[in-house]
Parts: sequence; C-alpha cells; structure tokens
Amino acid sequence: MARGAWSARLAQGDRRILFLAVAATVAFPLLWPLNLPIRVSREARAFHAEIEGVEPGRVILLSFDYEPDTMAELDPMSLAVLRHAFRRGVRVLVMTTYAGGVGIAERVLAQAAAENGRTYGTDYAFLGYNPDFSATILRMGESLRGAYPTDHYGHPTGELSLLQGVDRYADIPLVVTISSSALSEYWVIWAGGKYHARIVAGNTAIQAVLIYPFLQTGQLAGMLGGLKGAAEYERLIGRDGAGVRGMDAQSLAHFLIVLFILLGNLGFLLQRRAARAREASP
Amino acid sequence: MKRTGPILLGFVVGMLMLVQFFTPNPWIAARYNNVLDWKQVVFGVTLILGVLSLLLHHGRRIRRRVAGWSYSGVTVAGLIVMILAGAVFGKERGPYPWLFAYVQSPMQSTLFALLAFYVASASYRAFRARSLHAGLLLAAGVIVMLGRVPLGEMIGFTVAGRFYSLATLSDLVLTVPNLAAKRGIMIGVGLGMTATAIKIILGIERTYLGKGA
Repeated sequence: MARGAWSARLAQGDRRILFLAVAATVAFPLLWPLNLPIRVSREARAFHAEIEGVEPGRVILLSFDYEPDTMAELDPMSLAVLRHAFRRGVRVLVMTTYAGGVGIAERVLAQAAAENGRTYGTDYAFLGYNPDFSATILRMGESLRGAYPTDHYGHPTGELSLLQGVDRYADIPLVVTISSSALSEYWVIWAGGKYHARIVAGNTAIQAVLIYPFLQTGQLAGMLGGLKGAAEYERLIGRDGAGVRGMDAQSLAHFLIVLFILLGNLGFLLQRRAARAREASP
Repeated sequence: MKRTGPILLGFVVGMLMLVQFFTPNPWIAARYNNVLDWKQVVFGVTLILGVLSLLLHHGRRIRRRVAGWSYSGVTVAGLIVMILAGAVFGKERGPYPWLFAYVQSPMQSTLFALLAFYVASASYRAFRARSLHAGLLLAAGVIVMLGRVPLGEMIGFTVAGRFYSLATLSDLVLTVPNLAAKRGIMIGVGLGMTATAIKIILGIERTYLGKGA
C-alpha cells in the first residue's frame, strides 16, 4: 500500500473499529474490575462537610434537576447524598425542576428511605414538579407552601410534619442541587443571591467545568463533578456504589479517546508531510 | 394603544420587580408573589400551547404523507398514550410509571450513551492540531480528560521530591484559565442582560412586541 494511502486511512480511521474499541474498553472493566484508587477532591470534601455540618433533625432541600438522559451519571450522586443525610438523621425535602425528573426522584428517594427505614411526611417529602423553575426557585424564598400548596401526592404541605417551622430558605440550612444543566447557576443566582441560601451542587462532568467561578467565590459551598464526583462521595460516606463501579470504565475510556486523538493527529501530520513533499517535487 | 399598553405594562411590572429587591414593604412583597404565581400559570399555559402546536405540526405531516411521516405518527401516538395512561390510570400506578421506567428512561439513556461513540469518532477525525491555538486547546483537553479519572491521577512527574499528578495539572487548567474565561463571559453576559432589561423597562427595546413596533 502506498505511504500516502496508509496515512490517509490512519487519519480517517475506520468507524466500525473505533466503535468496537469503545464498547470493549467500557465493558472490560465492568466485567473484570481494576479497582483503581480514587483521590477525593477538595470540592467533594467541602460538599461532604456541608451535609456533616447539618444538625440531625433539621430539613435540607434536595432538587433533582435532571432527566433520564443523565441519570447514569447523576443517580449515584443523588443516592449517596440521600444515604448520607438519612444516616445522619437529617430530614430531606425533595423537588424537581424537570417534568422527567419526577420518576427518577421517586425511585431514588424510595430506595434510600427504605434502606434507612425513613417515614414519608416525617423524615422526607416529595414536592414534585412545578412549571417554570425560575418562578419556583424565587417563590420558595418567600414561601415554600406558596410555591407548593400540596406535595406530589396531593397532601397539603402545611399539614406535613416535616414542614412544621419550615417555610423558606432561611429555615433550611442547606440547598442541594443535582443538575445536568445551568440550573446550579440559577440556584446560586436566585436562591443564593437574593435569599442567601447556602448551596452545594452536583453536576455532570461537562457542566461542572462551568461552575468553578461560583465555587471560588464561595457562592457554592461544595461541588461534585460527574461520575468521578459521585465515586468520591461514595468513598467519603464509606459505601461504594455505581459511581465507584464506573470509575475503571471511565478511566480506560478517557485514555482510549486520548489515544484516538493522538492517532488521528499522527495520520493528519503524515498526510500533511506527504502533501508538502508532493508539492515540493518537480 | 396597541403599542403604548404593552410598553406601559412592561414598565410597571419591570419597575415593581426592580423595586421589590430593595424594599421589605409588605404590599410590594405581596404583588411580587402575585407576579411569580402568574408566571407559573403563564408557563403552564405555554405548555398546553406547545402540545397543541406539536399535534398540529405532526398531524399535518401525517395527513400529507410527507417523507418520514411515520415518525410523526410515533410521536403523536407516544404523546396520546402517555396522556391517556396518566389521565385514566393515574400517575402513581399502572401504565404511566411503567412506561416512564421501562420505555422513556431507557430510550433517553441509550440516546445519551450513544454520544460516547460519536465523541470517540469525532475525537479521532476532527480534533486536529492544525495551528498553535488548536494545539493548545488539544493539550488542555487531554490534560483535563486524563486528570479527571483515577488512572490519570497515578500519572505525573516529581519535582524536588514532590509528586505532581495530571490531576494537579487538570485542577490548574480548570481553576485558572478556564475560570478566568468563564468569569469574563459571565460578566459580559450580565452587563448585556442588565442593559437589555433597562431598555425594555424604558420602552427603548421593543422587538418583543413583534414587527412594526
């Protein structure tokens, strides 16, 4: 095969081989775990310290700001946070800003509550979905019961024992948002900026990159980034789950993609050199 | 009146929302809550409009048998089945939660998971160091990708007896150049939003009223 044709094939790559390599790289460590060590970041420690700092019996707010598309990345985070809160005796008020988040929140909440023997209405409650997240977040700063007159199951929120003495951010020591979008920023701007709520955020890896400015200024008290953040949190609470299980696969997949980038660039450079050589030859 | 009314309404509501931020006055706080409640109602109505618009659009495609009309049929059928499942059997039991857990969730997750394959393919074919800037971007991307996973945290170099992993470099990229760029963009966007809001309140910006305003 001519050298130019070889470099062209290397530069283009065969999509079938690329796809097979990705599938094999992700599947292999799920079947045979490598148990790579996990370093816990400063942001994850700060997030953990915030939940640790909440007195048992007090109510925190947890918002499921994602839909099923990102649940593989964010469910482990939500579950770990709920397990940690319930284990410490912290009560949790749950809501979602996405219509598709209702089914997810109910499932994760039911699992964490069953594991820790928590009771609905006393230890936790689910407010459900309200249309228009901006008005909902702002309205909750004035009155939780005003924003949600009933919970997701139709019980008047004023009658829930969980909400006795709790009606606004000022009554809640911590707001937790687990988000796949810019919702973390909006929580900081509206609930944090206007009502001085203390906020921690869990985000998809791609979204986490965008919220560092809020972390540096202290507007966010802690952050979990992507599946790695979930794995770090699982290690902090001493209970491994889907986050830790996924770390080996994610490690190898990232290395594979870097290998692809290097191979693609090698082909590109060889092609360019061959083209220059052709131009230079008489 | 066709133009003056909406501009006057925008001015009054805009000023109310602005003033409420600086005063604890209970009357203004009550009006502020009214506006927030109304905003949710308006949002709910737009959802209904969205559903009607979707039905009209796809209904037209099905009637005219345009290319790919069967996909429109699936969309309309999916919408009607979910609405009926929720309305007839309730949202807590029966087919509605089942369809969400075993049809919608796996489909959305699968679609998102396919991104891994396309990202891999695109990284091979498109992520090229064609210039110095592209090379720098590529280097930053590689450092962050490797530094954010456990395997990358084991790779690094030792300077004066201290180990610097790719995770340290990744943190540096994220907390210095990335943070500076993001903050610059945010400040720019914030100033732009403030200027636009003032122009709307004062009636200078009228494009939201439609053509000819």
